[in-house]
Amino acid sequence: MINRPNNHDLLIEARQVLLNSLTPELTGARKYDALMIANAMSMAIRELGQSEQAKVEEADQAVSTFLKTRSQPTHNAEGETSLAEAIRERRLDGKEPALRDVLRTLTEARLGINNPSYLKR
Amino acid sequence: MSELAEVFSQFVVHQSGARSAKVIAFNKLSGGAIQDNFGLSLEIEGGMQSGLQEFVVRQDAPSGIAESLSRPEEFRVLEAAFEAGVTVPKPLWLCEDLDVSGQLFYVMTRADGSASPRQLVKSDFTGEQRCMIVRRLGAELAKLHTVRPPMRSLDFLTVPDQGNAALSRVSTYRRHLQEIAEPHPVLEWALNWLEDNTPEPGPTVLCHCDFRTGNYMMADDKLTAILDWEFAAWSDPAEDLGWFCSRSWRFGANEREAGGVGEKADFLNGYREAGGADIDPAAVSYWEVMALMRWAIIALQQARRHISGEQRSLELALTGRMVAQMEFDLLTQIQELEDGQ
Repeated sequence: MINRPNNHDLLIEARQVLLNSLTPELTGARKYDALMIANAMSMAIRELGQSEQAKVEEADQAVSTFLKTRSQPTHNAEGETSLAEAIRERRLDGKEPALRDVLRTLTEARLGINNPSYLKR
Repeated sequence: MSELAEVFSQFVVHQSGARSAKVIAFNKLSGGAIQDNFGLSLEIEGGMQSGLQEFVVRQDAPSGIAESLSRPEEFRVLEAAFEAGVTVPKPLWLCEDLDVSGQLFYVMTRADGSASPRQLVKSDFTGEQRCMIVRRLGAELAKLHTVRPPMRSLDFLTVPDQGNAALSRVSTYRRHLQEIAEPHPVLEWALNWLEDNTPEPGPTVLCHCDFRTGNYMMADDKLTAILDWEFAAWSDPAEDLGWFCSRSWRFGANEREAGGVGEKADFLNGYREAGGADIDPAAVSYWEVMALMRWAIIALQQARRHISGEQRSLELALTGRMVAQMEFDLLTQIQELEDGQ
């Protein structure tokens, strides 16, 4: 079904109205609430964006490839669960640079959605 | 509110041996999800507190959560800190009778100034002032850390397993992480690192365990009170030092490692010169990593309260999305420590 404008577009416009028209009128706790709403909407907007989605898929793929090359089982639907288990059970070498690269890729993909400015620190 | 003010006023009259008291001002203070804090100004006639007096009343919030000290326990910790010479509000009277206000509460003196971290971090202090502030904060911790077990009045605090606070923490956080439904491979990896790189344990001392910018009051550049003692525990002194210096508590002033206010070296010098143990800076760095882990676990628990429906809240939901920041900092800081930076 075609239903335009799409969810991404609607959220972008709604956030603009919130920030440009409503927030300047607010003070104190209500202003803080409005800024939290704008922040939550930013995350949802980025999560729906194509480039961020591509990074998430890339990170999932990196986890899956890494686990295969280390002969680790991927019995769970999500590779991240298998990776967490393998680390907890000490089946992987925590010092291995390739493991750290995968962990960083995952974290950067998540931060790309949650708070991209943190990546520039 | 006015009824509650009268209840507290009568309590103060009774405790201080006054003839009467008139409520001049009463208001709820900001901060504290677990407790309600009220400012109470009274004009007191007679007794040991005669005259215009400013108090803070701290009582359990109706929706209080576990995993922190009860008000009576917190009062005992505050008394111990006060007696050790730490700059805290003077603890005055504890009320354990639920018939008085419906909740447990205690009354303490009110300190001047502000605890706002943003205000403090953005203040236009000179280098000399910054040095003085963080040295003073280090010295306060040194005084607190003179309090050591066993102490009968603090017998509700547990002593770390085998005197190793770091391994006790790792074990606790691992258990908490397993209770979270979704996977967190970075946190699993960092827990392994923390387990494998434990420093030589320090002495077991009374730690504040939430000693950070935002939990102390400042009037200009003068410290007026250290607040929020509900997480106090017997632990390794380096835990308080590391928590204060953690990247999570610099409020955007990342280059000022001591609480976003000053230099870490000045903070540690202040600690040492006031009689604190000569703690290896590497142990402080280790506990900074532990601090990131602890904050990540707390954030996950807060998000779970929202997700489970126990307490639907946008603020809790957004806190859950902050965990990636702690994970990013864990990866960065562990790498830097291994690279000798």
